[in-house]
Amino acid sequence: MGNKQTIFTDEQLDAYQVRLLHGRYHELAPHLVPMDYTNDPDCKLPLALIVNMPELKENPFRNRIVEAFSEDGAGNLSFNEFVDMFSVLSEMAPRELKAIYAFKIYDFNVDNYLCKEDLEKTLNKLTKEELTPEEVELVCEKTIEEADLDGDNKLSFTDFENMISRAPDFLSTFHIRI
Amino acid sequence: MTSYSNDGFFNPAYHDSETLEIDRRSSSKNQHINPYTREDPAWRFDGADTHHSPVCQPSSADAGRVALGGWQEESWRRRDSIPMGVISNPGSPSWQHELTHSTSQINPQCDQSPSVRRPSSVSGNMTMRLTGITMNRMNMFPNTDPAFIEDAVRNEMEKEEQDLIKELVTLSRRDRIRTIRELPMCFEEKKHIRSQVLAFKTSKQSHNCTCFADYFENVTLCFRRCGYSIRSARQTLELWHGIMKEISGKFGTSVLSYFVFLKWLLMFNIFSFLVNFGFITIPLLVYDPSPNIPPNVSFRGLEILTGAGYISYTVMYYGGYSNETFVGLAKYDMQLAYFFTIAIYMVLCGIALIFSMARSFMKNFVLVNPASDKAWQLLCSWDFSITNERAVRQRKNNLRVQLKESLSEQAQRELLTLSEKLKQFGVYLGSWLLSTSLAVGCGASIYYLCQYEQEQATDAANWTLLQEAQTLLVPFVVSLMNLVVPLFYSLFNKFEHYSSQRRQIYALVVRNIFLKLFILGVLCYYWMNVVAYRFTCWESMVGQALYRLVIVDFLFLMLGSFFGEFLSNLIGTRLLPHVGIPEFDVARNVLELIYAQTLAWIGIYFSPLLPAIQILKFFILFYLKKVSLTHNCQPPRRIGRAAQMQTIFIAVLFFPFFVGALSMVAYVSWRLTPSEQCGPFRGLNSTFSVVGVWMHNLHEIPGSQWVIWIYEHIIESELFYFLIALIVQAITYTFWQISQGRKALIALLRQQIVNVGKDKSFLIDKLQTLQNSDPNKKSKEKDQKMHTKQCSDEQSSGSQSNSNAMVQALLARQQFEEEDERRSADGVPVPADISTPSALMQAMLARQRAEAWDEHLYQMPDNYPSSSSTLVQAMQARQRAESQERAEYIRTAPFSENPVNRFSAVSQTDRSGDLSSSVSSVKMQVREKSAEEEDRFQWVPSPSQNPAPPGSSALIQAMLARQQAQNEFDDGY
Repeated sequence: MGNKQTIFTDEQLDAYQVRLLHGRYHELAPHLVPMDYTNDPDCKLPLALIVNMPELKENPFRNRIVEAFSEDGAGNLSFNEFVDMFSVLSEMAPRELKAIYAFKIYDFNVDNYLCKEDLEKTLNKLTKEELTPEEVELVCEKTIEEADLDGDNKLSFTDFENMISRAPDFLSTFHIRI
Repeated sequence: MTSYSNDGFFNPAYHDSETLEIDRRSSSKNQHINPYTREDPAWRFDGADTHHSPVCQPSSADAGRVALGGWQEESWRRRDSIPMGVISNPGSPSWQHELTHSTSQINPQCDQSPSVRRPSSVSGNMTMRLTGITMNRMNMFPNTDPAFIEDAVRNEMEKEEQDLIKELVTLSRRDRIRTIRELPMCFEEKKHIRSQVLAFKTSKQSHNCTCFADYFENVTLCFRRCGYSIRSARQTLELWHGIMKEISGKFGTSVLSYFVFLKWLLMFNIFSFLVNFGFITIPLLVYDPSPNIPPNVSFRGLEILTGAGYISYTVMYYGGYSNETFVGLAKYDMQLAYFFTIAIYMVLCGIALIFSMARSFMKNFVLVNPASDKAWQLLCSWDFSITNERAVRQRKNNLRVQLKESLSEQAQRELLTLSEKLKQFGVYLGSWLLSTSLAVGCGASIYYLCQYEQEQATDAANWTLLQEAQTLLVPFVVSLMNLVVPLFYSLFNKFEHYSSQRRQIYALVVRNIFLKLFILGVLCYYWMNVVAYRFTCWESMVGQALYRLVIVDFLFLMLGSFFGEFLSNLIGTRLLPHVGIPEFDVARNVLELIYAQTLAWIGIYFSPLLPAIQILKFFILFYLKKVSLTHNCQPPRRIGRAAQMQTIFIAVLFFPFFVGALSMVAYVSWRLTPSEQCGPFRGLNSTFSVVGVWMHNLHEIPGSQWVIWIYEHIIESELFYFLIALIVQAITYTFWQISQGRKALIALLRQQIVNVGKDKSFLIDKLQTLQNSDPNKKSKEKDQKMHTKQCSDEQSSGSQSNSNAMVQALLARQQFEEEDERRSADGVPVPADISTPSALMQAMLARQRAEAWDEHLYQMPDNYPSSSSTLVQAMQARQRAESQERAEYIRTAPFSENPVNRFSAVSQTDRSGDLSSSVSSVKMQVREKSAEEEDRFQWVPSPSQNPAPPGSSALIQAMLARQQAQNEFDDGY
């Protein structure tokens, strides 16, 4: 733990928080993650371990969050990506960065747009799949209607960001305290 | 800049495929915002430190050999690394490319084979991503060769990185750090970018690097590390972090906002306690540690509640302070200290409130659009901080109910008839009248109660216990009203059905504010007009009254959370299950806090140590509320917009309450005569005259003339305040006008996004129909360079290229506009600043490509001897014109800070679309050319003659040019 500076430049994150995060990361799989990160070991934790963190356990989007931050898209996180994840979800992260990753999280089929299918999945995750298909359909249509600026019947990142900029709560709700 | 983009442009990969180019436009549209185009394969290669890579032996001989133009092809063939030290010519345009090679192009496997164009030679992750992106694009344009797409993606990514680094190098360090922090990349990439930028900087400065600079750098680094460690320490010591996390995990952000507010107020009070204690109380205690209490007064216990008796002789109240000047190491004038401490504290409070209010408004109210409710509920309302399983379940249920309700509401709303509307209006009117009259009644009854108390009370020093207990009557009634009347108000909600929940909350908040204002106003009136003339040491009496109010309010807050929450929880769970577990009412609780804080502000003059009581009160209240919340309450059923509510609370705290307290204190110190027997200002006409006395004394001290001048000419002169008021009004008016203008501009730009989106979908539809109608297209594209086209294809491919060029130009323009819009809307300048030059560059690239297409098409008619010299001449003339135009681009590019120039460049791009459409007829082209010449005469001088015409007219011109292009396109087609 001594030379955090070799891995994390002091401009990126506070040493205290990194140490805290490393502790959490280590705690997830003590036999896999070394305490010593001097040589930048190559170890990744699978999605199943990470979504069991108490901070993520009950989150309906937990799998999507982890996938959005993993480089291979399958949910395996290295420590660096783990730090990335919590720094984007921290209080200090700028709105634009948060918007980008929120978009990524909601974009289930990774096609760069929030289409109706994505919204339906989101809605089902948010409401325990207890709405009737007609209601789901209606809500998704309304959502697209409200937020779609350029009329292509799906939400691009621009649309999404525009909507976020009108929802000031987003900054405080897209926030996980570690 | 220009030469750089040309270098990139000559890469054949750009010209390989037509659809690819289109796709390139659309994908790079979101160049700096889109998370998916961010993935640069080149960055994945580098480890932590490539220069010391033990496996790859650097071959330094290659350092300076990279050709200026062909760096992109080179970068994929060369696998050897180049150490930074041997860059021979840092001034030349090629140096940055070499630098990139040296740090980014090293394959971990040290693969020396030239076959790097295949994805198999790169690491697994990268391959996956690359193929993922490629697949996406192939899905969009299925007729293209995947190899082309892959190359293009790769090149595009490389170029983006280069652009980014170049942008970053020009920024200042603070900006750079912030920009890098905001990049949507993973940590390794950020680190890589940063190291490249730093290497860039050092290689630039290496020749004038001295010992001193090194030393300086080290010292600044030391300071920065110090700062970071202090910040870390602060975070470790952060108050109640764990509790906050627990609350937000169980109840969500809106309930948390109450506790954040409470903590903020606590900090406020700690500050004011430190100020008052430090500057007023400590000097007095040092000079005269024993309070001068009359011998017949002893501590009886009840004083803790009433604040009378024993306590009234201590430093708690105004009366306990002396008016002497202490002579120790230095003179300490108690009068001045008291006056200036209170005054400066009030001013500081006001400034802090104004700033936090303004910041909160800016963040939370700027572009709030209440219309997009569904989208908000679906995509922004989920609270990621909730970690409790029960809370998650409850929240999901609530959301579902809300969605269902809003769906049924929409069906219901249209059914409202006139009579129903009238009825609803009547209910609103009735409830408002009732609530206001309740508030007025409360105020009046408190006034009469005070009068009654005043008849009973005497100015005696030694009250009996019963007399002392009687003083608690008024605070008791006031707190009871504060507790009970709001409950009545929330009963009204059952009768009036507000259409939105927010309106309902606002109505409740406004009624409660009225109530508290009436009560406080009546009390202040009573103190200033009755108490001030009746008692000998009236300031201490007011201080005692405030002390009692604070204490009794605290008791009632405790009782309220016991009865209000604990008992209703019991009732809800045991007796009447249909009532249910109570919710935590954030609005009511926050208003209670605001009321408590107002009492402390009013009391700061009469009882300087009242903040100490307040600190204690808030500290206990925090834990009390937390326990009561976790045991008795459930999360709010409705998901409100917490951030806006918080802003409103700060605003309410400032406007009626803080301003009211400030004016009360100011009136007291300006107008009322301080009591003759006690306190620091005894014997003066008013508190403020202490400044006059001080000025009078200053006359004797030489060298203090300027203080007297300031006092006489600024503080005491009406003219000064008049001028200040005028200037402030003028500034306010100007800013208001600016904001109005921005609003109009935002509306305009939003409309344009809509238009452009429609254009885009229209053109893409057209393009795809064209592609589908021409089955030979794919093979034809592959053979483009061999010029073996059939003449029958000419017409269709011509129109194809027209549409292609147009689409590109349009998309480039759209990208620019979107970026501009985003910048103006968000006020986050940094990323947009990066991307603007690149948007311009892309517009230019699109145009050049359009020209290349034209040229390519021109070569086709060569097969026909009949298409004779007219065409050739036209072509030559046009090429000449184009080269001129290009020269202009080079000239205009450096001015690209001016938005007008950018727009003109974009509109010229559009015109290139016009040009390409002229293939179909020679005459038309010649006409075009002349038209274009004319156009240029209009356009070129514009930056010099009229440096800043309004942006909107430039926009309109750009739109006109686009429309013209579209017309031309339709004609040609």
